[in-house]
Amino acid sequence: MAEMNTPESGAKKGKKKARSKKSSTRVDLTAMVDLGFLLITFFMLATTFSKPKAMEVNKPAKDKEKTEDLPEIKQSKTYSIVMGKNDMLYCYTGASDDTSIKVDSTFFSRTGIRAMIKQRQLEVQQQWGDKDELFVMIKPLPDSKYRNMVDILDEMAITGVKRYAIIDEFSEIDKLVATKSGNRLISEKGMQAINAEIAKTGIK
Amino acid sequence: MSKVKLPRKSTAIDMTAMCDVAFLLLSFFILTTKFKPNEVAQINIPSSTAQLPLPDKDILLIQVEKGGKVFIGVDDQNTRALWLAKMAEHYKFKVTATMQHNFVVLDSYGVSASQLPQFLALSPEELNKVKQPGISMEVKPPNPSEFMDAILFARQSNPKLRIAVKADKEASYEDVNEVIAQLQERKVNKFNLITSGRAANAESANKE
Repeated sequence: MAEMNTPESGAKKGKKKARSKKSSTRVDLTAMVDLGFLLITFFMLATTFSKPKAMEVNKPAKDKEKTEDLPEIKQSKTYSIVMGKNDMLYCYTGASDDTSIKVDSTFFSRTGIRAMIKQRQLEVQQQWGDKDELFVMIKPLPDSKYRNMVDILDEMAITGVKRYAIIDEFSEIDKLVATKSGNRLISEKGMQAINAEIAKTGIK
Repeated sequence: MSKVKLPRKSTAIDMTAMCDVAFLLLSFFILTTKFKPNEVAQINIPSSTAQLPLPDKDILLIQVEKGGKVFIGVDDQNTRALWLAKMAEHYKFKVTATMQHNFVVLDSYGVSASQLPQFLALSPEELNKVKQPGISMEVKPPNPSEFMDAILFARQSNPKLRIAVKADKEASYEDVNEVIAQLQERKVNKFNLITSGRAANAESANKE
């Protein structure tokens, strides 16, 4: 039926087309590219690229029964770093005479704390002949951030300090440094515990 | 002067090369991808120069959020099932099939023991919506904290577990220290802090 309705000109064209034409083998790839990039975007967004790294921490075992005295470290081999709020660091070299201590405040940077540790390593090397004799005492105040702890441990790895410890007990000097710099010495939880203790004893 | 006739060029471009590149990249991403786990807490980890890759097996992950909320989880599903059974025994609640399934699927959790049965009875959709309050770190003197118990049971379920602490860089030292102190109470003195890599810094430091 449709053939009957076709005009003559059309019929002529049809006749011409009847000669088999060589069709190109080209395919339109645009859609395929679209799909490819769509999937790429999906995988890029869904992937986790940087594998997390682990920093190993070994803490000394707490032994409640064993309270034997550990050999004391000579003050001149130590270096104390007190970590306060706002990424501030206060460091000083221990001395037998507390009045002659000079406390430096510094930041986390290559010219700040790292230079100071290196300086201290040199001093220890001159005095004791081995820079590994240096003992760094890290004392984070409750206002410091977790990042500070990671940074300072990292700093120990970078400067190659062999002996260091994170210490939660504060000496008189640390307490002075903390109060002078506007840091709290006792954490909120500690404060609550103390208040509870006071309340309890008060009632009794 | 006759007009110069510009030959009409077709606007179709050969897409073959582009298609090749697209699929090359695609295959790269498919092969290297490792899907992000469904995270209970938003944690920005600090960076460090540590080069040790985190092992992918037998990990007990402790997550500390910025505000100090603590979540824990283990990676292995068999361990999770055992872990739940141990906790159910200790806190005396019954484990139904749905609860077990929910717990096994969960990457990490942060609800107190008293809420745990109720929490696990929820449907999976609800489970993802619930804001978890974090595990209780409170120590009531004769009893250890729920966190310490959870650590104990997890390690009983799989003694090979290594402990990794993933804390937000803005988390306060106090909160992280509390976690570490309680781990030490459970005689865990060796653990990993999860950080993101930062390689160049260490090298430049050594050159100095």
